Amino acid sequence: MNGASTTSTTPVWRLVLKQELTEMWLGGRALNLLIVFCLLLSITAYLLGTNSELSLTPPREMEVITLQAIMAFGLFIGLVLGADCITGERERVTLEPLLLSSASRQQIVLGKFLAALSPWPVAFLLSVPYLIVLAQGDAVMGPSLVWGAVFGTLLAIGFTCVGMLVSIWSNSSRISLFISLLIFLVSLLPGQLPGEVKTSFVGRIMQVVDPLESTNQFLQQGLIDGAQWSVVLIYLVACIVATIVILAVLFLYAAPRLGLDGGARIARPIWNRMEAVK
Amino acid sequence: MSYINGNGNANGAKPPNPQPEVLSANRLRKEYGSRMALKDLSFSLRAGRVMGFLGPNGAGKTTSIRILTTMLEPTSGYFLVDGISSKQPEQIRQKIGVLPEGMGLPKRVTGIEYLTYFGQLYGRSASTAKATSRELLKDVGMQNRGDSEMGSYSHGMRQRLGIARALVNDPKVIFLDEPTLGLDPRGQKELLSLIQRIARERNTGIVLCSHLLSEIEGICDDVIIMSAGQVVAKGTVAEVIGNTQLNVDQRNTIRVRVPPTSIVQARQVLESSPHVKQVMHVDETGGWVMVQLTDKASADPATEANARNSILAALIQVGIPIQGFESAGGRLQDVFLQLTAEAIQ
Repeated sequence: MNGASTTSTTPVWRLVLKQELTEMWLGGRALNLLIVFCLLLSITAYLLGTNSELSLTPPREMEVITLQAIMAFGLFIGLVLGADCITGERERVTLEPLLLSSASRQQIVLGKFLAALSPWPVAFLLSVPYLIVLAQGDAVMGPSLVWGAVFGTLLAIGFTCVGMLVSIWSNSSRISLFISLLIFLVSLLPGQLPGEVKTSFVGRIMQVVDPLESTNQFLQQGLIDGAQWSVVLIYLVACIVATIVILAVLFLYAAPRLGLDGGARIARPIWNRMEAVK
Repeated sequence: MSYINGNGNANGAKPPNPQPEVLSANRLRKEYGSRMALKDLSFSLRAGRVMGFLGPNGAGKTTSIRILTTMLEPTSGYFLVDGISSKQPEQIRQKIGVLPEGMGLPKRVTGIEYLTYFGQLYGRSASTAKATSRELLKDVGMQNRGDSEMGSYSHGMRQRLGIARALVNDPKVIFLDEPTLGLDPRGQKELLSLIQRIARERNTGIVLCSHLLSEIEGICDDVIIMSAGQVVAKGTVAEVIGNTQLNVDQRNTIRVRVPPTSIVQARQVLESSPHVKQVMHVDETGGWVMVQLTDKASADPATEANARNSILAALIQVGIPIQGFESAGGRLQDVFLQLTAEAIQ
């Protein structure tokens, strides 16, 4: 290999991203998840629309509930794709050739991360017609689209990172998906707390710390209750901080240690130790 | 003659103008807690030679290969690839090609696209990587299938493509882990001759892990036999076979193959021969008879050769066709079985 013309200027992450997008979209995985997303969204919209005809739920509230559902379903797609992207490759023995190349681990992870994130913008675009119809001309539509895009993207980034972290530290897709699902369910818990616990100090802390619940609180208080900016800003900051922290853990700590075995190069996560004992 | 250095049983003179060393390991050791997975692995491999890496399951082959391919850090010891120290794993990865056992391939990508992708990962431009990919596909005999999606490839084609991928960065050393696993006999033979050709034509050192001992014996220049995490024999194939002290059952033993219909008659003839101590085993289906010579008949090589000739002559004289004749213990398989059994004990 001689001369500048034979040397590639394409960054590794773009090569990995292109390869991953081909597999994910042409292979049908992303499309299948989006079909499920549309079905769930349609069911939610239908149920809310039926309520609306009975004048049970005002359009403003319907809009926010739908937005919350869109974000929950959308981030779940990122979580699932992230949870499979490393363990799946380990199981198919396609990760080893990639790690054996001279490509940097961080760039490999970045390419895979962006690919796993790619269904989110499509999912959000698909949900725009639902939001327009359910708003029924209410002024909440504009802010809900903007905040939906902002929070949805933050959550999708955060949960895709979580899925990938679990995937990097797991030895099988089954374990990785199970742990990711557990994390998703735990993040839904603060929203299900009884009223008195929610208003207690611990309840408030949980609502701020949990990105999914802080998003819900922001939308609820900001768009429905019309709370002041200064009151709801903390939820946005909490969501941004959580996303930055998880991004840093993924790219600065886990990605450089990405290896053939989950958790072999780091303190082994408890679930891998349990698996080894079994 | 030995081309393998280190603390093994190499005892031959080096050839004139030897090829440069492309891989050398020095006292590599790997421990998992109190378990020793690899103990003091030392050897070197020269360019253009194929080294068989043998051992039963759990012998430490995979650990060795993972260490040598920078996927695992050794507990102690070091190795060099083309002069680059194991302390520089990223530079080493530029110099090695690997075909992992059971390697998967994406289904919806063509062979050309896949090889081009890896070429680019090694820093080549898209056009150069694509041109190299076409050449590599031609080298492995797949020039007509490069534009097909890999989901349509047979197992043999996937292995060939895996070898092409291992060559994409023009490596100095290639590690092939069970490349013939799951292939039919013709596919195995073709792949092994391809491996040998690659080593010769590209002057690349090849480390070949396989359980196919007869095939290893046929194409490998050097061999390392491992058991329970340590090297039990190394050298050229001839050296390993020649230097192994065979046990009593294998010494002075020959195998004769006759048609299954003649096996009873052959047994009678053999038992009546003065050179035969005992007929040890008869495989009536395959037609193999295993015979142990008397101590007197195997006193020295010349006497032993005469005894073998007499036995053959006796069989031919009564009209029994000889379909096969070999010394037990004269094959790599016998050496492997004995050495690994001893190590386990």
